[in-house]
Amino acid sequence: MFLLSLARIFRFAFQSFLRNIWLSLVTITIIVMTIFSLTILILVNVVTDQAVSSIKSKVDISLYFEAQTKEEIVIDTKDQISKIDHVKNIEYVSAAVALERFKATHSQDSLIQDAVDEMGENPLGPVLVVKADEMNNYPLILKNIKDFKIDEVVKEIDYDDHQLIIQKIELISDKIKQFGLFLSITFTLISLLVVFNTIRVGIYVHRDEVNIMKLVGASNWFIRGPFLVESILYAIFGCLIFWIIFYIAIGFINPLVSGFFADINFNLISYVLHNFWYIFGFELVAVILLNIVSSAFALGRHLKV
Amino acid sequence: MIYFKNINKKYPPDTLALNDVNLHIKPGEFVSIVGQSGTGKTTLIKLLIAEEKPTKGKIIVGGWDITDIPGRHVPILRRQIGVVFQDYKLLPKKTVMENVAFALQVAGETNVKIEKIVPQVLKIVGLEEKGKRFPEQLSGGEQQRVSIARSLVHRPKILVADEPTGNLDSINTREIIDLLQKINELGTTILLVTHNREVVNALRKRVITLEAGAVISDQEKGKYIL
Repeated sequence: MFLLSLARIFRFAFQSFLRNIWLSLVTITIIVMTIFSLTILILVNVVTDQAVSSIKSKVDISLYFEAQTKEEIVIDTKDQISKIDHVKNIEYVSAAVALERFKATHSQDSLIQDAVDEMGENPLGPVLVVKADEMNNYPLILKNIKDFKIDEVVKEIDYDDHQLIIQKIELISDKIKQFGLFLSITFTLISLLVVFNTIRVGIYVHRDEVNIMKLVGASNWFIRGPFLVESILYAIFGCLIFWIIFYIAIGFINPLVSGFFADINFNLISYVLHNFWYIFGFELVAVILLNIVSSAFALGRHLKV
Repeated sequence: MIYFKNINKKYPPDTLALNDVNLHIKPGEFVSIVGQSGTGKTTLIKLLIAEEKPTKGKIIVGGWDITDIPGRHVPILRRQIGVVFQDYKLLPKKTVMENVAFALQVAGETNVKIEKIVPQVLKIVGLEEKGKRFPEQLSGGEQQRVSIARSLVHRPKILVADEPTGNLDSINTREIIDLLQKINELGTTILLVTHNREVVNALRKRVITLEAGAVISDQEKGKYIL
């Protein structure tokens, strides 16, 4: 009896879905647009995070030693710095490697290449590149380094130049996060209301049928069931249609996004593919739950005996 | 079969739709309930199918006291009473066969039984050829016959018809009344709510007349007296 009723509920749901095809298409279109907003929001957040973290990863404190500084002194300084709290990583760039990198960076500039060759000896000293675990910790690390009294061997500490930029990045990053949160909440609320009202309107259109079903002796669950299953169908079709369209669309969008974020090596397609089941699953479950709640709420008014 | 005992029905703020109504309808009777608009005829039907509850009094249907019937039992009651309405109340997106079958499906009948009974009932109402049509593809008289078929399909002991000919011409009216008489002859108790003087007078059956929510006349083989 239960299975028979369940089978009938599913059959009625599919029947209603097809026989009210225009209403179904309108509802699905609204759901597709809602998922579009949500997905764009998710991807904008991801791209912003990627961009900010990529820029942050390029920030460091560089200690430029005098050209003739002995390697033991540099290594000793490195050991000392590594003991400072919040230091994540220290790279030791020897004078020879520093020269190679300098030449490589200016390989197109023959004037600089000639000048270096003419000098005969390596004008560059070794460099220590210090990375912190958090952006906020750079000033603290810098203060500790300065306390080591290494002015005699270190000719320049390259951080102050970045300080302003770093502060700006921090500020922009915070603003983007705040704006992203505001945007996420606003979009989510709008999406909730749009889908909720679309489902409600759909059920309002069927209110006479609900009344007839009651008069014929249908139980509340027998009436409610097809509407709930139908709302799940809307969610499934909405998600599927959106992702088919979106998958085709990102093929065109990806070069633009990659070009825009050329420096941070972000690939939209590989991100979407890598996280497909996570995003798709989240959206599907969210829209199904939303539709079920909307249907149940809208039906409740018409099901009172 | 049906008892209305001292029934009062009051709608807020102070409209008295039924006033101390006492009725006893025996099994197999054909009863016409007549009265002008707003005299409480439809309220009486609504009480019988538990769409409304009485303010006072007691209603018993087939030995079952439905006065304070819980919501979960209402569908069970409605599966035992066939109801036909003036506006047919057919499901517009279901075919004739599906509309009739729906009354059995809600009661959990098997597909085998449904496939056997529905064509039989459609034959009784003369629509065996139109089972795959949708309501909008039928005339008013045909839609009312579908409604009767649906109300009959679970073989109810009581069939309530609330102004079933209100939207029909005289030929279709005659056909519907003939059909109800045929159903009554097969043993079903019929409660016919109507305004139609000719129909009531031609029937020569029991007539209950309501006025201002009260029974003013109850005659065996009665006539439309208003």
